Amino acid sequence: MRNKLLIAAAGIGLLLGAVPAWAHHAFAAEFDVSKPLVLKGTVTKMEWINPHAWIHLDVKNPDGTVTSWMIEAGAPNGLLRRGFTKNSLPPGTEIVVEGWQAKDESTRANGSNITYPDGRKLFIGSPGTGAPGDKGGDKDK
Amino acid sequence: MADGKPNLTGLWQAMGTADWDIEDHSAQAGPFFQLGAIGAIPPGQGIVEGGEIPYKPAALEQKKKNFANRFKDDPEVKCYMPGVPRAAYLPYPFQIIQSPKDILFAYEYATTNRLINMGKPLEAATDTWMGTSNGHWEKDTLVVDVTGFNGNAWFDRAGDFASDSLHVVERYSLIDANTMNYEATIEDPATFTRPWKINVILYRHREKDARLLEFKCVEFTEQLLYGDLVRKSNSENPGK
Amino acid sequence: MNQRTFLWMSALGVVMAMAPISSVVGQTASQTSAKSGKSSADPKTPWGDPDIQGTWTSDDTWGVPFERPKQFGNRATLTEDELKERAKNIEHNEEFVESGGANHSPAKAQIDAKEKGEAPPPPPQGRFGRGVDAAPVPGHWGEFARRASHQSSQIVDPPDGRLPPLTPEAQAKLDAKMKLRRDPLPASWANWSIYDRCISRGVAGSILPVIYGNGLEIVQTPGYVAIRYEMVHDVRIIPTDGRPHLNSNIRSYMGDAVGRWEGKTLVVETTNLLPDRLSIGANGDGGAPYSEDMKITERFTRVSPNTINYELIVDDPKTYTAPWKVAFPITQEPGYKLFEYACHEGNMAMHNMLSAARAEEKKKAGGDAGQK
Repeated sequence: MRNKLLIAAAGIGLLLGAVPAWAHHAFAAEFDVSKPLVLKGTVTKMEWINPHAWIHLDVKNPDGTVTSWMIEAGAPNGLLRRGFTKNSLPPGTEIVVEGWQAKDESTRANGSNITYPDGRKLFIGSPGTGAPGDKGGDKDK
Repeated sequence: MADGKPNLTGLWQAMGTADWDIEDHSAQAGPFFQLGAIGAIPPGQGIVEGGEIPYKPAALEQKKKNFANRFKDDPEVKCYMPGVPRAAYLPYPFQIIQSPKDILFAYEYATTNRLINMGKPLEAATDTWMGTSNGHWEKDTLVVDVTGFNGNAWFDRAGDFASDSLHVVERYSLIDANTMNYEATIEDPATFTRPWKINVILYRHREKDARLLEFKCVEFTEQLLYGDLVRKSNSENPGK
Repeated sequence: MNQRTFLWMSALGVVMAMAPISSVVGQTASQTSAKSGKSSADPKTPWGDPDIQGTWTSDDTWGVPFERPKQFGNRATLTEDELKERAKNIEHNEEFVESGGANHSPAKAQIDAKEKGEAPPPPPQGRFGRGVDAAPVPGHWGEFARRASHQSSQIVDPPDGRLPPLTPEAQAKLDAKMKLRRDPLPASWANWSIYDRCISRGVAGSILPVIYGNGLEIVQTPGYVAIRYEMVHDVRIIPTDGRPHLNSNIRSYMGDAVGRWEGKTLVVETTNLLPDRLSIGANGDGGAPYSEDMKITERFTRVSPNTINYELIVDDPKTYTAPWKVAFPITQEPGYKLFEYACHEGNMAMHNMLSAARAEEKKKAGGDAGQK
């Protein structure tokens, strides 16, 4: 009886609420799940705005030309509460964005995974506070 | 108040037409002749000390561009937040709630609101529409220091603007129980040749049961902002 | 667990549900001191009203199901084991946020599979599940509970923790709304929620916990309590001077609120709501749009320096066949502050989603759909 109860409890969303995952619109309304991409480029601007933050990225194409991309990220206020600020992703930073391309415009994408070129993840944890094990945050700190 | 400070709590509103143009202006036509006199712009005495805004030459050119495109580019047309100091002289009321700790300003327009931090000053984490407000008392005057603007708000419907290095210092002081003097010092070395001031009188609403209403104007801008993206085969109104 | 132990635990659960829900397995609630007043047990403002001021968040109830899963029956609280399980999940969330979590790159996995000529991997099941429509932006953008809630659901009345049946009228409105939401090629902004349109989340939607933005500030002055919500920058000015509601011809998204003190509890009644737009649920969109008869009653009771017990009673006979109640604690957290959430000003998603729909239609029609 006890085991059954536990299994039932774990399986029926006891731990996760019935609220939809992303607080608002479906990803599929904006982005094309059949067009995954990886973009490596230089940040020209980071807009810490709601409902989505936007990273402006200059990507060098194989032929040497540069394309300006707009990457949709999450809502910033949770990150701001962890100590990130407008200086946490300064222009000039090189990043790698993995995500999916927009359905209607070729130079917009959703950024599901954003890292520094060395693989360190961006926006994880709290920004450079010098704490032991601190991984994310300002590159120049 | 118990701490000896004047209580600014109340429903306040500026009179005059500063939101149309903070400088002196004559009556003029509006964008739609179909609205006749209702759609026209009334005259107004300016609220800028000294009369003229001290724009740098390049900024003055930008202001003129803004003016020429004002019925399209004014953030107020799109129901965007008004920024500071424009929020103080919009033609709509705002409520001040003064607690012993912090002071809340709630504006009827677009449900804009901001909390004035009266404790240790905090730095702006990001640039925002209403900026980051730190306040303190100088005798009986509430002084609010606002920084961290995103440079997107205008000062009025005439295209007056500033950049994201704008710094505003507001001063609120009661002239009598029902009248408040509002003064703001505007500083932005990227846009103006020197700091300058505006001065507005705020009047307390004294109607029985006067209370802050809600003017959520976003839905009145959707046709404007997204109308060309609506499925054309929709025969009925795209919706409320 | 034998029958007797189960009953004992249920009884305990009832008692626990009524007690302040502020402790957690392995963690204790922070002990920030009271703001003002003579005793920290019942802080008062200088003019003598109970002091409920501060920045509060419903983060701790994020993850608690809104409606109680049927298996719980009338049991409002978790068993010790269930609580431990929930606490483990919360720790996992914290680790995930601090360390970078699982190597979550479904986009890269798709690309790698294609290069290898393999079948694409199944749609990403982020930590919130549900495939591609779930958040492909990883969870570290979100906010989490700090303590495991004892509750089996957010709804505490009716006793089974589930919504009372809808009226036929309300069901029809809900069906019509879901049809709009599910249209894969949305016609206009009206297909989306009042929240997605950056207008409001309403009274309940502004406090029911979601994946971020669960903070609110309470500011008091003689004769008023004001509540300011981070998302979507809504504010309510609640007079406590006994004045009547506005005339019913003036309606709004947040309604007209009047408050009174009952002992140390602030009771707020809200009427004058705009009908047929918002519903009572997460982000103001999780249910049937309510009618002009909706009356929302809330109770705020500060039970410790950093906990307010919050109740929300929903009463709209045109929508629900019986009133119902949600209850959970909201807490103060060290360093937690609100930031501006200017939504409409940056709502590129609305433009982009409509633009995507029109582009898809054009593609389907072979490019001659007549759309520009």
